[in-house]
Amino acid sequence: MIEVRNLSKYFGKRCAVNGISFTVEPNTIVGFLGPNGAGKTTTIRILTGYMPPTSGTARVAGHDVVKESLAVRSVVGYLPEAVPLYPEMRVYEYLNFRGKLRGMDRPRREAAIARAVERCWLAEALTRPIGQLSRGYRQRVGLADALLHSPKVLILDEPTVGLDPTQVRETRALLRELAADHPILFSSHTLSEVEAICQRILIIHEGRIIASGTVDELKAQVGGQRRVIAELKGPQAEVTTAVQKLAGIVNVRATADGGWTRLDIAANNNAQNAVSELAAGRGWAVRELRQEVPSLEDFFVKAIVDARVRQAGAKEDRR
Amino acid sequence: MRKLGAITQRELLSLFCSPIAYIVIAGFWLVTGAITIWNADAFGPGKPATLRDIFMWTPFILTILVPAMSMRTLSEEYRSGTFETLMTAPVSDAQMVFGKYLASLIFYVIMLAGTLIYPLLMEVFGNPDWGEVLALYLGLVLLGIAFTAFSMFASSLTRDQAVAWILGAMPLMLLVLSVYSLVRRFEGWQREVVQQFNIMGRFGQFARGQVELDGVVFFLATAVLFLFLTVKVVESRRWR
Repeated sequence: MIEVRNLSKYFGKRCAVNGISFTVEPNTIVGFLGPNGAGKTTTIRILTGYMPPTSGTARVAGHDVVKESLAVRSVVGYLPEAVPLYPEMRVYEYLNFRGKLRGMDRPRREAAIARAVERCWLAEALTRPIGQLSRGYRQRVGLADALLHSPKVLILDEPTVGLDPTQVRETRALLRELAADHPILFSSHTLSEVEAICQRILIIHEGRIIASGTVDELKAQVGGQRRVIAELKGPQAEVTTAVQKLAGIVNVRATADGGWTRLDIAANNNAQNAVSELAAGRGWAVRELRQEVPSLEDFFVKAIVDARVRQAGAKEDRR
Repeated sequence: MRKLGAITQRELLSLFCSPIAYIVIAGFWLVTGAITIWNADAFGPGKPATLRDIFMWTPFILTILVPAMSMRTLSEEYRSGTFETLMTAPVSDAQMVFGKYLASLIFYVIMLAGTLIYPLLMEVFGNPDWGEVLALYLGLVLLGIAFTAFSMFASSLTRDQAVAWILGAMPLMLLVLSVYSLVRRFEGWQREVVQQFNIMGRFGQFARGQVELDGVVFFLATAVLFLFLTVKVVESRRWR
């Protein structure tokens, strides 16, 4: 649904987006993750037809963002980062205005507004001036606007910034629900959020995509190795040798604890199951067996640090 | 058409939600009224029933008020960021600019309509030449068409309303006043050229009841030129 090829954007000499490529498949939620100033908003603005790229191409729902800008704009639902709205308008007036801008006739507009209002819990704010609304309500008005025309693609720029925890949870639930009909690309600098709702993640840093994949793939990349902690009831030497023989085990450290053997295992695969089966086979009781899951946070930090190191290295080379 | 109408309607709503609209309208009616009182001698019995004296200085007043009326149109969209929501909606740049322009013009016509009280009073107490009145109002509308386009162009250049007002008002004021006072100093072909830009002179013709085609064309062409430039400026904002 979204296809980006070698997209670059320069503001004067400053490079905001540097030759990125990615695709978003139908009915998936893709999280666009990166520190502030990484190029997320610029990429999103190119995809929504707000600004043209310096080079490269992007297609949204089959339309080129430069050559068929109006077609792209009519099928995309877009929530800009700061949720700009007209403070002097009432919520209903605003949604009605946006419906007209999208060329909907009155019956379609009324039905669309009713549906969007219900989905975004806006019913009680409908007649209030936007200028008096709280941040959470403003966000919902923006989201209702983005959903109004049943877009083929939803592009949301930091949709949960400034919301309270309940609203964040509600918004995430809504996004998951919406992903059933629309592919969603949304940006965020909050890891937990991306981890909670996205099927795929793109990590962008200084205008480049430095990693992409599913949550699990990215986690697996953190160290390559997993750490399994196990405590089995059995003689230390026997337990240690048996575990070492299992497939994929890199290293085992064992300590005795009054008849129990505490193992700290580094493995290339999911050693948890193997250890569990081994213990069952030998009749060793199991007191603890857990796999330390590397968090996405670890990955994020590692990816960005790696990128910085590579860059520093490149600068050294140039000298 | 629906999109254009939506933009015009929203723009009018915003205009009438801001104090500027009321200040501009009140200012125009007040100044026009004050001029009428100063010229009270001209309306005595036996004097010609003409509006010329009331509207003599209107082009100058409009150089201040029309840019104030139109200064929000684009500047405010840039400042508040709503420009982004407009530019990502399926509306062409020309539709957006023209929709906003229409709203400003409708506002201007409402403002003018308030001064119809003067010809009506004249009808009650005298016998005005309605052809002349019609020509005068046509001149006023044409002035508005040209000035509004120029003021919108000024608004398209900046995100600051005050700057937009100054960028709109200063050149208009300079043009109207300087050409009016300097035109007599030129001779021959130079005078011919300067005369083309004599807005007071062109308006004066309408005020006297003379509808000249070149005057109509001058004001309309000015409007088209600046609307075109405004669309180009809006387009160029995408490329930055």
